[in-house]
Amino acid sequence: MELKIRKHNETYIIDIQGELDLYHSFKLKELVSKMLEKKITRFIINMEEVEYIDSSGIGALIYVVSTVKKQNHQIVICNIHGSVLKVIELTKLVGYFPMANSIDESIQMIS
Amino acid sequence: MSDNKKRIQIDNDHPLFNKEGLFFKEFPSDFRQIRYFTLMVVQNAPPEIKEINLLEQQISEIIKNAVKHGNHNDTNKKVKIWYEFTESSAHIIVEDEGPGFQKLKEWNDFNEKRLSCYARHDFEELGNYVSYRTEDSDDHDGGNALFAAIEYWNEGVVFTQKANCIALKKTFPTRNRSIKIS
Repeated sequence: MELKIRKHNETYIIDIQGELDLYHSFKLKELVSKMLEKKITRFIINMEEVEYIDSSGIGALIYVVSTVKKQNHQIVICNIHGSVLKVIELTKLVGYFPMANSIDESIQMIS
Repeated sequence: MSDNKKRIQIDNDHPLFNKEGLFFKEFPSDFRQIRYFTLMVVQNAPPEIKEINLLEQQISEIIKNAVKHGNHNDTNKKVKIWYEFTESSAHIIVEDEGPGFQKLKEWNDFNEKRLSCYARHDFEELGNYVSYRTEDSDDHDGGNALFAAIEYWNEGVVFTQKANCIALKKTFPTRNRSIKIS
């Protein structure tokens, strides 16, 4: 799994590539924690290139969403599809996660 | 679906524990190889029920629980897996050498509260029930694997009394339904 960061105005987009599984999910938690330390307040998690997620990956998403929200900052997860969406549905986290269909929609939700 | 199936059951004599005709594999409890072991099992499944990789993901969670929480990643301890896949069903039994998942009742109660938040669309309160944790949990545990399992395995999630052995089954809708005349 790889994480890439790009910036759109004051919003930071994290592009995840690969599998958000039990061996890699901690990297996302670490990255977002570091970004929060650097006073970043607006996050978009782009899941377009994630085809596999497990309970550790779901746990990492719960961690980043709850941590960012607790600090009254903003976060949206976008482009969730395929089996990743199915796992989120099975876990009944649709509604809990701030979700969008695209980066553009995420930017609109945040600004 | 009955409410009973939304709870983890405890029943040594449950029909899902019938191993007759099932395939069998045994693996050492090597945490690094959980996904590989899962692939070794799932490769037998017909593509109709793989649903991209959802079947693999759900089986991987059960094997992970056995390797990590059951056998504490002790490679001297084995995980035994019995399984059968058809075009319309997946049935798996996973046994570890650990002391068993002792918190089944607590888990069922926790899950009931979680489902009640969800039914009320109380996503604020749901935030308190997104992860089930015990003293055994660490930062890598999502604490949500069995929430998905109880939804996914629609024929039941059953533990033995000792709770170191779990049986799960899912039936899939068949694509070409034929009309049965009884």
